Amino acid sequence: MSERQPTDLEISEVVLPGIGRRYTLPAADGARVVVVVHHSGRRDLYAFPPGASGDEPPASISLTDDQARRLGAVLGGAYFKPAVVADVETVIGSLLIDWVTLRTDSPGTDRSIAELEIRRRTRMTVVAVLRDDETILAPEPNERLRAGDRLVIVGRQEDLGAFLRHVVGSGDG
Amino acid sequence: MGDELVALGGAFLAAGIVARLGNRIGLPTIPLFMVAGIVFGPHTPGVAFVEDPRELALLASLGLVLLLFYLGLEFTLEDLIGGGRRLVAAGGIYLLLNVGGGLAFSFAVGWGTREALVMAGVVGISSSAIVTKLLVELRRLANPETRLILGIVVVEDLFVALYLAILQPVLSGTQGVAATLTSFGKAFAFLIILGAIARWGSGVVGRLLSSDDDELLTVCFIGLAVLVAGVAEELGVSEAIGAFMIGVVLAESPSAERIKRLVLPLRDAFAAVFFFAFGLSIDVGDVASVAGPIGAAVVLSLILNVAAGLTAARLYRLGPQPAANVGFTILARGEFSLVLAAVAAGAGLDARLSPFVAGYVLVLAIAGPLLASRTTSIARRVPARLISPGGPP
Repeated sequence: MSERQPTDLEISEVVLPGIGRRYTLPAADGARVVVVVHHSGRRDLYAFPPGASGDEPPASISLTDDQARRLGAVLGGAYFKPAVVADVETVIGSLLIDWVTLRTDSPGTDRSIAELEIRRRTRMTVVAVLRDDETILAPEPNERLRAGDRLVIVGRQEDLGAFLRHVVGSGDG
Repeated sequence: MGDELVALGGAFLAAGIVARLGNRIGLPTIPLFMVAGIVFGPHTPGVAFVEDPRELALLASLGLVLLLFYLGLEFTLEDLIGGGRRLVAAGGIYLLLNVGGGLAFSFAVGWGTREALVMAGVVGISSSAIVTKLLVELRRLANPETRLILGIVVVEDLFVALYLAILQPVLSGTQGVAATLTSFGKAFAFLIILGAIARWGSGVVGRLLSSDDDELLTVCFIGLAVLVAGVAEELGVSEAIGAFMIGVVLAESPSAERIKRLVLPLRDAFAAVFFFAFGLSIDVGDVASVAGPIGAAVVLSLILNVAAGLTAARLYRLGPQPAANVGFTILARGEFSLVLAAVAAGAGLDARLSPFVAGYVLVLAIAGPLLASRTTSIARRVPARLISPGGPP
């Protein structure tokens, strides 16, 4: 688990005995956000700027349970959703629906769904391709993907990492 | 009755006010509750709320029971197993250095074998309460070494349970091999029975206690905790271990989270009485007369904690700053040392033990947090070759 290069969506969880649990989330440009959820309901947020060595005292704030829930709702877009959202990830039970955008250097660009063996190798399904003004619903296996395509994918959450590596590739965005 | 209530109220208030004053300059509460007991006790001139510490004996032992009960509630083996072998190794090395070093030191002081066995624990075991609070207050929960520090504390908690189980039969001073073996046997049979209940029977115990009503749940779990502690004491196993084990049993029950929340204010209140009552029995003159051993023990603990911090840093490939954080955060001594002193006083050991523990805990409970908050400047003075042979990672 720790040997694998984490994708930009992975969260690591650590139990802090007597205190609660600690979650580390990657942020943009190599920064990290650490969230500590106390047994008491209190949350601590620690922000590590890009390149922080890990033992420098980072910026931190504490939130009560109510405040943390409200912040979570704001971050999740419950109050206002920006017009340009690259990835909209929705989880219904164990089912995950997500949008990803292919770049010119993505491994999946200029290859067909059949060539990529997406379903066999990542266990995710491409249910639609949004290309310019066109929407291709339930694309055929011989559909050739292009840079700038937005793929609507469905699958299990744990398979998302494999899909991102296989089709979208690493890098920002 | 009125004068007893005045004494009790005065004790609470004195402990609270002294701890508040100390809190302003970042000192932990546990030693300050004890200081309040010393200042407002019979051995110090001025106001004495309580002339005889025995007046508070029952409430103080309720504090001890709730302290250990809560520790048992918080204790889970999963935390230990989840941390892997390296964590157990780091905790083991810490205990080996500190309890082992403490034992050697205690024999060198030469107050007797039974006294030495108690002193080894006093000198060797950190205060979970102060360590946890320090990490939260110094905002170090996101640091890489924090998991390691808390893991070492969990290993220490497990050690405390076994150590208390062994200590009581030893302290009871039974003569002869057969009698000693019998009392060890009783202690371990008790541990195994309660351990088995924790493993397989906590559902049944949980259902017996469970109630949607907080009031009824509180009354029942307090009753169970105090009863089991009392039975343990009657069997010669010590109330501390009885309270700890019943906490472990209830930790597995469905009501565990609610019990933790409900017991916390009760524990805080009566543990303060326990620390205050311990302070009442302390004469500052006696502490001064054992200043030599106290000083030596403090220096020893400083050296051993720095050594343990450096060893853990090598094991986990951490830099000088995390190494200093490990060593100085777990340096704090507190509730366990005082629990051990109370157990020793109950067994009629050398009278110098209590003032020794009081002085030692006071120095380290103050020095520990002060050093832990200044590790950045301390770490700069640690030569890199002590951390890793090839320079810093």
